[in-house]
Amino acid sequence: MIGFIAFSLRRAWQGFWRNAVMSIAATATMVLMLLLLAGFWILNTGLLAGLEYTESKVNIVADLQDNATEGQVRDLVARVEAMPEVLRVDSISRDEALQRFKASRRAQREEDLTRFLDSNPFHASIEIFLTDAELYTVVQNRLCSEPGPTGKGCAEEPAIESVKNQQALVDNVVTITNVLQTAGAVVLVVIGLIVLFIIVNTIRLAVVARAEEIEIMRLVGASDAFIRWPFVFEGAMVGVLGAALALGILGAAADPLSRFMFDFFRVLPLEFGGLTRDVLVLVLGAGIGLGVVGSWVSVRTYLIR
Amino acid sequence: MAGPARSRHPPEVPSGRLPLHGAGGSLALDVALPIVPARSLRERLLGGGRTRARTDRTVLVLHDVTKEYPNGRVALRDVDLVIPEGDFVFLVGPSGAGKSTLIKLLIRDELPTRGEVVLDGQDLARIGRRNVPRVRRKIGIVFQDFKLLPRKSVWENVAFALEVTGTPRRRIRPAVDRVLALVGLTAQARQHPHQLSGGEQQRTAIARALVHDPRLIIADEPTGNLDPLISWEIIQLLLRINELGVTVLMATHNADVVTALRKRVVALEEGRVIRDEVGGTYHRVD
Repeated sequence: MIGFIAFSLRRAWQGFWRNAVMSIAATATMVLMLLLLAGFWILNTGLLAGLEYTESKVNIVADLQDNATEGQVRDLVARVEAMPEVLRVDSISRDEALQRFKASRRAQREEDLTRFLDSNPFHASIEIFLTDAELYTVVQNRLCSEPGPTGKGCAEEPAIESVKNQQALVDNVVTITNVLQTAGAVVLVVIGLIVLFIIVNTIRLAVVARAEEIEIMRLVGASDAFIRWPFVFEGAMVGVLGAALALGILGAAADPLSRFMFDFFRVLPLEFGGLTRDVLVLVLGAGIGLGVVGSWVSVRTYLIR
Repeated sequence: MAGPARSRHPPEVPSGRLPLHGAGGSLALDVALPIVPARSLRERLLGGGRTRARTDRTVLVLHDVTKEYPNGRVALRDVDLVIPEGDFVFLVGPSGAGKSTLIKLLIRDELPTRGEVVLDGQDLARIGRRNVPRVRRKIGIVFQDFKLLPRKSVWENVAFALEVTGTPRRRIRPAVDRVLALVGLTAQARQHPHQLSGGEQQRTAIARALVHDPRLIIADEPTGNLDPLISWEIIQLLLRINELGVTVLMATHNADVVTALRKRVVALEEGRVIRDEVGGTYHRVD
């Protein structure tokens, strides 16, 4: 067995270098295709992160009754936090609401008009962040689907004065993110298929160029394993080499690229560690996998019928 | 090569022109085994339905073999053929007569539509895919176009046949050296095919065919690409190998050689064996 593996590896090595032109062409194709795949993977990851960020901005703002007691508010927050759809709840006091308004006027370089007010017109409120923007309606209805007994407030939660209706906006955001997510996935699958076919075909060409060698092996009585495995190892070699080169290029490009996209990444807290690991696994896996599959499929044509 | 008209004459062994060193010996040896009607021999050998019955006397039996390709073309019809061990058989016939198909059946590249091909006691249709390589190692095959690997040296080309069949490395060296000495290529062992003459390339191919110690050498037009002088060299080499006990089946269009050597001749035409005679000539002598 060890002898067989040693033989196959030796033959793969010889095969690679003795057919250098074909091997280099296959490796170059592999590198380009893996770069294409990795590039689209990174773009898609960026897109998904952007969409996630956008969706995370969707929250439910419920204004509280001015006469709600601290205990009522605490109970309300605890109940809402216990809902499975809810990520977290921020409680905003009337003072905080006023400060926020002032801050936003300042940011827009508008005059602060609140100084003309006798009292704070803002309600205290809670901001509910959801695990998924699509759950907006569910949570909203649970909090306030109909007015309370006095015709004001909410029947479900007496401490809530009203829930801001952002349904239309949320629907738009959800629709756009869904479309973009699907489009990203479709593009990635199409790119994946293109990469698959081009690499398998390139390796097939390299194998076909050596049809005579395979023919001779068959005629002198080589078993299928002795014919197949050297080619499979050679395909894996092309895969490893292609993946290593592609990763080298990506590594070299990562720094200037991330500086170029600094603003983008400042807004979006992308998990870079995760992306690096994903791209590493993707490129190596795709390289070796496609090399092996390509060789396996290509050699099969020549084996004993 | 001479046309049919010339070869109808009694065999003119062109020994005056061609260096038949040692060939006299092989001609003297030409007491070819008697031709036994295929069916009766097969029955004697394989009687009682025992397909594994094996004797030391028969290398190859074709019994009632018909090969029809999927496109409807019938390449072989009811072929019966028995080749005893040590025989030297010429397979002749025009292009398209079925020679190539016959060879494909022998190396189990194709299976017969009907009938049996029994090589060294094994029915090739029943051996199963896994055993095909082992059966092929009992056959050494030589082609018109040599089929050498251009990037390997003579030595490596021959060793290749052993390497790819899992022979331990320590046994490869002596075996390759031995066959290269046999075909007279020890001095050229390190050269590559493009540095060799046609005859030397074909001798390399013969060495490769021999390195497994096959029971049968199939030579498919081995002299087709060679000039007459070199052709005779190759024929002599095959005769010498035959003298060593290896059965040789040579498909050829070379009428001079066939007629001169007076070996057993099996003639195919339109897929049928139309003639099977010991001491035959290329064309039928009426």
